[in-house]
Amino acid sequence: MNALEIDKVTKNFGDFCAVKDLSFNIPKGNIYGLLGPNGAGKTTTIRMVMNIIIPDKGTINILDRKMDEEMKKRIGYLPEDRGLYPKMKIGELLLFFSELKGLKGAEARRRIDYWLERFDLADWKLKKAEELSKGMQQKVQFIATVIHKPELIILDEPFAGLDPVNTKLLKDFMLEMKDKGVTIIFSTHRMEQVEMICDNICLINKGEKVLEGNLNRIKKEYGKNTIVLDYEGEAKYIKDFAGIENIDDYGRFMEVKLKEGGNSQDLLQYLTGKIRINKFEVKEPTLNAIFIDKVGEQNEKNSGGN
Amino acid sequence: MRKILAVIKREYLQIVKTKGFIIGTILGPLLMSLFLIVPILMSVVSVAEQENIGVIDASGKLFVELDKKMEQKLKDGSRRYLLEEYRLTGDISQLKEVLNEKVLAKELSAYVFLPADISEGGEVEYVSEHVSDFDKTNNIRNALNSIIIGKRLKAEGLDPNKVGQLMRRVSLSTKKVSKRGVEEDTGGTFIISYFLVLVLYMTLIFYGQAIMRGVIEEKSSRVVEIVLSSIRPFQLMAGKIIGIGAVGLTQYTIWGLFGIGFTTYGGALIADVFPAAASFKFPSIPAYIFIYFIIFFILGYFLFSTLFAAIGSMVNTEKEAQQFMTPVIMMLVIPLLLIVFIMRSPNSSISVILSMIPFFTPTLMLLRVCILLPPFIQVGGSIVLMALTTILMIWLTAKIYRVGLLMYGKRPRIREIIKWMRYK
Repeated sequence: MNALEIDKVTKNFGDFCAVKDLSFNIPKGNIYGLLGPNGAGKTTTIRMVMNIIIPDKGTINILDRKMDEEMKKRIGYLPEDRGLYPKMKIGELLLFFSELKGLKGAEARRRIDYWLERFDLADWKLKKAEELSKGMQQKVQFIATVIHKPELIILDEPFAGLDPVNTKLLKDFMLEMKDKGVTIIFSTHRMEQVEMICDNICLINKGEKVLEGNLNRIKKEYGKNTIVLDYEGEAKYIKDFAGIENIDDYGRFMEVKLKEGGNSQDLLQYLTGKIRINKFEVKEPTLNAIFIDKVGEQNEKNSGGN
Repeated sequence: MRKILAVIKREYLQIVKTKGFIIGTILGPLLMSLFLIVPILMSVVSVAEQENIGVIDASGKLFVELDKKMEQKLKDGSRRYLLEEYRLTGDISQLKEVLNEKVLAKELSAYVFLPADISEGGEVEYVSEHVSDFDKTNNIRNALNSIIIGKRLKAEGLDPNKVGQLMRRVSLSTKKVSKRGVEEDTGGTFIISYFLVLVLYMTLIFYGQAIMRGVIEEKSSRVVEIVLSSIRPFQLMAGKIIGIGAVGLTQYTIWGLFGIGFTTYGGALIADVFPAAASFKFPSIPAYIFIYFIIFFILGYFLFSTLFAAIGSMVNTEKEAQQFMTPVIMMLVIPLLLIVFIMRSPNSSISVILSMIPFFTPTLMLLRVCILLPPFIQVGGSIVLMALTTILMIWLTAKIYRVGLLMYGKRPRIREIIKWMRYK
């Protein structure tokens, strides 16, 4: 059963095509990653799901129904551009957001107190939003996203601007929601987060879908042709080794993709004695490598086609 | 509907709780009553002091009479003007020089030079450090006129008193005829109309800008998309406009109650404290004018507030909003410039046409309603026209608002805004 079904959705802004013929399904109870470089159309897609902008073509079904205003009560949305009314007190602000979601007074107040307590914000209930630190404001925004117990949570670049403490808080929070059976969609261009928490992903670029499916399966399909190297020394000449398709060098750490049929043991032999090797691991490619590979491939194809 | 109510409540409380609103609502009527009371008091309480005025009488025959005519008294019963005669013995310019010195030394507040040929049209000179004391110059002018004219009349063998009686002016009393009959009106209508139109103008601008600032704040604080995850842009705009409009009506109600209290008891109160002002009557406002005022406020408010909301959605800062605001404010200012014209000929066809233009209707039709109740077809027609325009504007601005709210960065051009309206 799917929590969200996007079917052949297209959105143009004037001459600019933001999303083109996009389709994907999100199974219930999943954490789903919507990936793509900046300007890929992630936010536009999410805004269409939220009925904030209307698709030119295609249909969107949420929780087995066509999206409408009533449905907004069952969804929690944390937009990429997010903030609070600066002059409002935190308690009033959360009450306002709860009322917008159709919660009634006493129940809303009870839940607000619960969440403020849980996020160590109870002492700030009567303070104005502008008096809070950025990290505290982010916590208030999380509360506003889930105060009405949504069945589907949509987070647009949720980790952007978070410090390590809040990053962990949000990650734990997402996993807790998943355990409760809530479906979570989140968009990002930071691959390491996706790798750690997502079950399924959809990668889009320039408004079009590039890759979709179960994360483990995608990685398996790419095969074990990636070598992670932890080294010391001068490693420039590694380029001369035949059979390397791609190198991502960080100075002390390197991710190498071999050509089809390339032999990792040959590479190890080639390197031995030239640099000091602390670690040599053959593994599946990181999502980051797949991402760069796929997006680069598509961009090349497009520019070639022109 | 519950959602819109939540927005209305938030907007209303956000403004009503501010110090600015509380101060403005209380201070407003106080200031207005000060404007009414102070001139009355000024006319009653005199601040005059005794002054010395020098007189050079070249004719040699006028000083005694002038001294008798300038007999205005101060409150304590002493003379207001003490006249001193300076005899013209030698050179006139030398004597003037001496008197100039005395004026500068503040021994004299002024001096007058009466030429020998004053009866034949010679010009009187008045010299002082400043010539803005119209009270004093008027007194001197009137005294000299009555003396000289009296002399001329006597020279022709006529009795000045008799001539004065014969020359008495005709008095004109102004009355207004309407369906309710004939009533006296000595300019009260003018004051009321002007006052109401100004109040309407100021509140439309004030609350329009309050809406615009609210929209800009929602955009710049980036809260707007969180709100849009629960309601549609149109609901947000409607809630905002209704909520702030309710603030306006609250303010009017408070002012209205204050005004009723003031006109009912204020006169008696002032008369108690300053008996001299007892004769002053406050103009009263007929009820139907109030009703039209509220109707035109509500319609005008909806028309202009949607425009201000759309402007707020298009920009990122108040500074950027200036350019878009200018034409909207012009729509409000132009009728103000036409007030005098409409007042002079409220029923001319140009006045009728101007007052039927929806953007001018709130101020100009209200003005015409105050001066003389126009035919119902005109008033009703203008209200219908305005309502239709308002609906059209809401439809258009809602489209701009919806797109503009989520547009950050560069201020859009007109062409882009037109493109926004075509988005699905």
